[in-house]
Amino acid sequence: MVYITEWDKFVEQSIELFRADPDSTRYVMKYRHCDGKLVLKVTDNRQCLKYKTDQAQEAKKMEKLNNMFFALMARGPDVDLSEVTGKEQMDAQPSKKGRGRKQ
Amino acid sequence: MVLLQLDPFLNELTSMFERSTEKRSVWVTLKRSSLKSKSQRNKLVTAGEAIEYRCLIRATDGKKTISTSVGQKDHQRFQASYATILKAHMTALKKRERKDKKKPAEADKREGSSKRSKKS
Repeated sequence: MVYITEWDKFVEQSIELFRADPDSTRYVMKYRHCDGKLVLKVTDNRQCLKYKTDQAQEAKKMEKLNNMFFALMARGPDVDLSEVTGKEQMDAQPSKKGRGRKQ
Repeated sequence: MVLLQLDPFLNELTSMFERSTEKRSVWVTLKRSSLKSKSQRNKLVTAGEAIEYRCLIRATDGKKTISTSVGQKDHQRFQASYATILKAHMTALKKRERKDKKKPAEADKREGSSKRSKKS
């Protein structure tokens, strides 16, 4: 088991792994307060992807990945993730357009 | 293992984080599951019915295990509360330090990448 060092790669590969076998892939988060460490793991019992960090900043990225996995698992593996991650931006854009038209 | 409702699960998860600050880790696992046994699933498949999947969430501190599940309708509410709990308890992670040093480092990277793109 080797830790993946690049976040984007980890996200990309873990989603690929899940989509290849949605029923047996799990996503585990391990947090150890006394050492200040966070480890993320995605595995389908054959392949194992891991990512570790001690940076608070990375926890925000993890939140996005959490949301992606919640959507994938609760709604199904075919869900459009760009909707999940880009929701706030998409909400903000129409309101700007609306203001423009009024003027 | 106890299958809890969403709010009791979140409360229990909070106290799990509070209990494990000095030692021990907390694990949270997300898995897609139909919450049915294999024979139950096979019955549904042979009957031609669709299997309803939910997202199963399990948490443990090595001593106690709790679990809950979210479906299509409630996962967004749950993930918001879950994120709030994580944010409130993951306080041992390192914050970014030395803001002054960070900026030049980023500038270097940009220069580096622009040089590379020029070469290519």
